[in-house]
Amino acid sequence: MDEAHIVNIHINAAKCTACKACELACSFTKEGVFAPSLSRIRVMQLHDVGMNVPVVCVNCADAPCIAACPTGAVRRDASVPVVRIDEEECIGCGDCVRACPFGAADMNEERGVAIMCDLCDGSPVCVDHCIYGALSFGEAMPTAQVKRLAHAHTVAAQYRGR
Amino acid sequence: MLRDIAKQRLLHVDLSKRTTWVEDVPLEDLQKYLGGRGLAAKWLYEQVPAGADPLGPENVIIFSTGTLTGTSAPSSGRSSITTKSPATGLYLKVSVGGHLGAAIKYAGYDYVMIHGVASRPVYLWIDDGKVELRSAEHLWGKGTREVDDLIKEEIGDPTIQTGIIGPAAENKVKFACFVVSRYNSASRGGIGAVFGSKNLKAIAARGTGGLRPARGKEFFALARKVRGALAADAGSESLYNWGTAGSIPGLNEMGMLAAYNFSRVTIEHGERLSGQYLLSEGYLIGRESCFACSTACHRFVRSRSPKWGDVLDSGPELETVMSLGAECGITDIEAVLKANQLCNDLGMDTISTGHVISWAMETYEKGLISPEQADGLDLRFGNAEAQLALIQRIARREGLLGDLLAEGTRAAAEEIGGDSWKWAIQAKGLEQSAVDTRAAKSYALAFAVNPRGPDHLMTETYAEFGFTQESRDVIRKVTGDEKYADPRLTEKRAEIVLWHEQCYGASEALGFCVFTSTAAFAVNPENMAQMFSLAVGVPMSEDELMLAARRMVTIEKCFNVREGARRKDDRLPWRMMNEPVPAGPNKGMITDEAMLENLLDQYYTAHGWDLETSIPRQSTLKFLGLDSVCVGIPQIP
Repeated sequence: MDEAHIVNIHINAAKCTACKACELACSFTKEGVFAPSLSRIRVMQLHDVGMNVPVVCVNCADAPCIAACPTGAVRRDASVPVVRIDEEECIGCGDCVRACPFGAADMNEERGVAIMCDLCDGSPVCVDHCIYGALSFGEAMPTAQVKRLAHAHTVAAQYRGR
Repeated sequence: MLRDIAKQRLLHVDLSKRTTWVEDVPLEDLQKYLGGRGLAAKWLYEQVPAGADPLGPENVIIFSTGTLTGTSAPSSGRSSITTKSPATGLYLKVSVGGHLGAAIKYAGYDYVMIHGVASRPVYLWIDDGKVELRSAEHLWGKGTREVDDLIKEEIGDPTIQTGIIGPAAENKVKFACFVVSRYNSASRGGIGAVFGSKNLKAIAARGTGGLRPARGKEFFALARKVRGALAADAGSESLYNWGTAGSIPGLNEMGMLAAYNFSRVTIEHGERLSGQYLLSEGYLIGRESCFACSTACHRFVRSRSPKWGDVLDSGPELETVMSLGAECGITDIEAVLKANQLCNDLGMDTISTGHVISWAMETYEKGLISPEQADGLDLRFGNAEAQLALIQRIARREGLLGDLLAEGTRAAAEEIGGDSWKWAIQAKGLEQSAVDTRAAKSYALAFAVNPRGPDHLMTETYAEFGFTQESRDVIRKVTGDEKYADPRLTEKRAEIVLWHEQCYGASEALGFCVFTSTAAFAVNPENMAQMFSLAVGVPMSEDELMLAARRMVTIEKCFNVREGARRKDDRLPWRMMNEPVPAGPNKGMITDEAMLENLLDQYYTAHGWDLETSIPRQSTLKFLGLDSVCVGIPQIP
């Protein structure tokens, strides 16, 4: 799949304040309860370095969760460019959870199904609730370009100082 | 555990007997007291008998989440901790942010009441339904940051939430604090010392459950709307950009920046203490939210100071830079960041620490503390090195002066004697926060009647300055006319204070940060009542909400009355009542004895309290439905 055409929730961790409004909005919208443990997006607070990093499904081009699913419940339909879990077909084995390199898939133990971000049909409620600009949504600037820019800033800082 | 918000649960922990049990909270009690600070006030009144030693086994600690904590209501993640204060011997409620309250909520509890005293140091571990007292022998004597690391390592999960006391609390320093989620602090009135007296080093919690509002979709939509309004408020924007210390430049200009132990109202280079300076000079490396907050006033800072050493820590707040900075005559921000870090790690309230030291500096300069008594420290204003040394001595009660100052300003002034009580900036035994009450009459009244002592953290009447249209709107709503948005006026101050103490109390009972309702104004009694109603599933009007808040204020007053406090105790520090503002736009202003008496008359009358004694009348208690709650006080019809 062409990377530039994968829609994604984009994360700017520098702006995240760990308010967890995204987790509350997600769990309420998806499960009808306020429960961060059931949110598809999770904020990791790294107190030792003073950073907060939201973690959510990045829609891998070659998604290990799809390959790992024994029933075909985890898939990306041609019409919608998003990895999704069909709860009817999910048997709750947790293979996708183990396969995901980022911990973006998790289990709802009570319902016995895997959970993962589905981008709320193109209008993610977590992004709507993030008032700090840490989350945004839309077509990504190609990853390599983002990294090139970040690297350029590092180089610039070496010349100009901070 | 997934549960309805209306089904509140109180976890009891008896440290003496090493037992725990759970009590369901009746829905009618939740309606009557709103939860959080309200229910805790009632329980404290019932649990702690008159005359009980605050540091003895009869005292309890009540950790209360807000009724809306854990939901998407903006900035609703704050908790209250209620106990009898070792600093004042009176009622104490301390509010704290961070994420511990939400973790306890998701673990299945709304309140935790700690009884008794543990025979050896322990910490409380709440892991969903499992509650355990674990040994804290290996944690005793250690700083809050290290203990946070050690507990997380021991549990094997760095994402759990903690509340921890430092060595100062173990040594029962009268202004020791309780540090929550590593970087937030429940600070005032010696709350930490009560934990220390119980041999309770920490509370740690992990919750994987969830909360179900009664009318979920409506609640969620309203909470989102209020979140948006709050983010757009000018007050929130400033708090996000510069934190609370963003007010420093304005205060310095207005001649309201308390400095040199309240003897001056501006300080040279005051801007170096500001949030703007932290940003422009690169000290600020991040902004932090409490749970569900839409403001993020909390700071994360780094300093690499050749003189004072490296700092990577939270803060500093406005009150911290005022108390440890300006009040001690210090504007070297790197020294203040170091002092803040020390206080956080040793576990001491920065407001009281700064003020007990600023009192000592003035007393030293006036010759009442000799160099020998100062244990060799050159305690002149501006000496940051001496201040940093003294902070450590106080926390560990080292030396004559360290041990004396650990008892607080009131006790220290009594011991040193002479006129030193006149510049002891305290009332009821609590050091006043760095707010100049001489030129702001609602503040003066609110500080004098504050049941825990003179500060802005039980009632904040910021609206009386009328800085924004929103605040002038509040003053019009409360008094009928915008012209009363003038802090120099004495008229209508009782109305302003009563409205604010109720708005403040309701906010805290529900878990809202008071910045959302009394500094910014997007959260207000009307939408608080709506959110309560939609979450709990019972009717609640704005008037009922404010009446419930008045109930809690009255119980808090009755607690103090039962301890013997009367009208004569509702005072301001001597300097605030006898030395007019020395310079600047407010030069000459004062809230003197006569003016305070007038304000008190207004206030007690509005409350239905007896004018001579300030005791709530029986008719008032009956009207509030408290006649069977507030028993054991003199009955005045």
